[in-house]
Amino acid sequence: MRQLWHILKRVLLYIFLTGATVMMAFPLFWMISSSLKTVQETNSAGIVWFPPHPTLQAYIDIFQNQVFLRSYFNSIFYTTLALVGTLASIAVVSYAFSRINWPGRNLVFFLMLSTMMIPAQALLVPQYVFFNKLDWINTFNPLIIPGYFAGGAAMVFLLRQSMSQIPKEMDESAVMDGANHIQVFWEIILPLVKAPMATIATLLFVGLWSSLLVPIMYLQTVDLYTLPIYISTLYNINLTVQPWPTIMAAAVLTTVPLMVVFFFAQRYILDSVVISGMK
Amino acid sequence: MLQNPYISVIINAIIAILFIIVSSLALASLARLIAKLFKATRIQQENTFAGYLFASPWIVGFLIFVVVPLGFSLYWSFTDFRIASKEPINWIGFDNYIRLLTADSSFRASIINTLYLTFLGLPLEMAVALFLAVMLNQKMKGERIFRMAFYLPVILGFNTAVLLCWRLMLNGGTGIINQLIRAMVKAVPPIGWVQRVLIYVQELISAFFLGISNQSFTLFNRVLEAGLPAANRVPLWVESPLWSKMSVVLLIIWGCGTMMLIFLAGLNNIPKDYHEAAQVDGAGAWRRFWKISFPLLSPYIFYNLIVGMIAMLQIFEPIFVLYRDNQPLLSSAISMVYYLWNSTFRQFEIGYGSAISWLILIIILVVTLIQFWMQKRWVNYDLY
Repeated sequence: MRQLWHILKRVLLYIFLTGATVMMAFPLFWMISSSLKTVQETNSAGIVWFPPHPTLQAYIDIFQNQVFLRSYFNSIFYTTLALVGTLASIAVVSYAFSRINWPGRNLVFFLMLSTMMIPAQALLVPQYVFFNKLDWINTFNPLIIPGYFAGGAAMVFLLRQSMSQIPKEMDESAVMDGANHIQVFWEIILPLVKAPMATIATLLFVGLWSSLLVPIMYLQTVDLYTLPIYISTLYNINLTVQPWPTIMAAAVLTTVPLMVVFFFAQRYILDSVVISGMK
Repeated sequence: MLQNPYISVIINAIIAILFIIVSSLALASLARLIAKLFKATRIQQENTFAGYLFASPWIVGFLIFVVVPLGFSLYWSFTDFRIASKEPINWIGFDNYIRLLTADSSFRASIINTLYLTFLGLPLEMAVALFLAVMLNQKMKGERIFRMAFYLPVILGFNTAVLLCWRLMLNGGTGIINQLIRAMVKAVPPIGWVQRVLIYVQELISAFFLGISNQSFTLFNRVLEAGLPAANRVPLWVESPLWSKMSVVLLIIWGCGTMMLIFLAGLNNIPKDYHEAAQVDGAGAWRRFWKISFPLLSPYIFYNLIVGMIAMLQIFEPIFVLYRDNQPLLSSAISMVYYLWNSTFRQFEIGYGSAISWLILIIILVVTLIQFWMQKRWVNYDLY
């Protein structure tokens, strides 16, 4: 009897979790399904789970759209450029906070942690004026360059924690052999923190790829649009009938890179997000 | 300088890297010089040099992109600076702040909307996250796949593409969510009663918050007097001011994966023997959760609460995608950051925008400090 109750509980648990999974993944399914529909089907009064005659017309249309292709390229371009520099500078700074003993380290580290309290939005206005002075409006610079200065205190914190856990003997013996800090950093420490680096790279990628507020502030000509800006222009409140299949086709193509990255990085993320959260 | 935008960015990036290297070397040399003056040993001098060299990218960035901008925006918040106009900047004292706090109905609406999200959305999000974490914390096969599925929305998160999909799903008439509600009510009529009660309660709460921001409670009274809604009523997620905030709450609940992972870590940290001992004493699962797990989770709840509140104060993308330029609806859903964006980057009122930024900053600091002060009363650090 007890055994039966136990099995029943397990079955109910699995049913519940499967149901929750379906709900969590539903927008994704709906996005794909809608991108294969006709406009009439997306607005139909009955539920069309999956179009009886799936059409790829929306994809054909969107691939012939120069602005879409251009914004896709822009997104890839700016994300890559920003990601590489940000990741590199975060690694360098984390090394300083974890492997070197220098006067003022704790004070600077405390300052860095306290910047986490400052919302990024509080800095938007003066930074805009500053970049305006540099004539950087309508360029990718404001989206990329600030990250090169180890933008993202939370990321530095995460990487510093991982680097601190490496035994001190590792670099001390290397220093004995005549290695300098750059060599220790590059040849000993970095290879040991690949997993947290992968987590940080993924989180940075997701943030950059989906970022909307900063790009719309600085990119005002259509040629420079990134994907989130372009897609937000597809939905036009003044239209009575929205071209949903086209919007959803563009949406599917926008989410594909996120899905791919998540698929490959999930084993790092799911474990270390937890660690980064707590001190 | 207007050539190919891509090449010009790459050139600028290289210049920035050179600038970082040069300024780091300069800062590190300066630090070593100071160490020398303080008669440090040679090894200490070397460490000072290396430490400042490696940390400089952040230090320099902190000065350029945080300290200086904050200083300037504090100054501008007391002026009538507009970026487009050629007129000189005038010092106007606290006028911007007074106008924001007393005369500006949009800003007041954005604060009230944030309160709605904080008092209604955040508890719901945390409850769902905690519930999912408890369900996942049962040592079973396939736990990882479920964990992945629950974290997926965080990755898709507030991407415009996904938000637009939500916009499609939330459509009042033909959206899939309302169609599913209708189908469910039709199949199992008792659900209809639950749905009507929920609609009534939600609309009352919403109307109450709208009443505060409009300073008139006629709508609230109307909803109250109308009583339970008709049986065929469905939520008008993105069409009615009474629902515009609830659809944002729905999005927030959907993205509860990070909170769930943090709760999961907390549950994993609770020693097994606590539960085993209680089980021997005959305590059921429900009692054990409330008497053992829940109090020991309080540091994690506290962490999620702080991070969650800050996130509510900074919400932008959902409002932008769902309600941008939607005149009748916008004021019922507008957030502080959306308002900041609108007044700074559409009306170019830098002075006013700076005042908004500083108010957001101050509100976040105050909220966090209050939380830290309150934690002594309820957070339990026995385990740590």
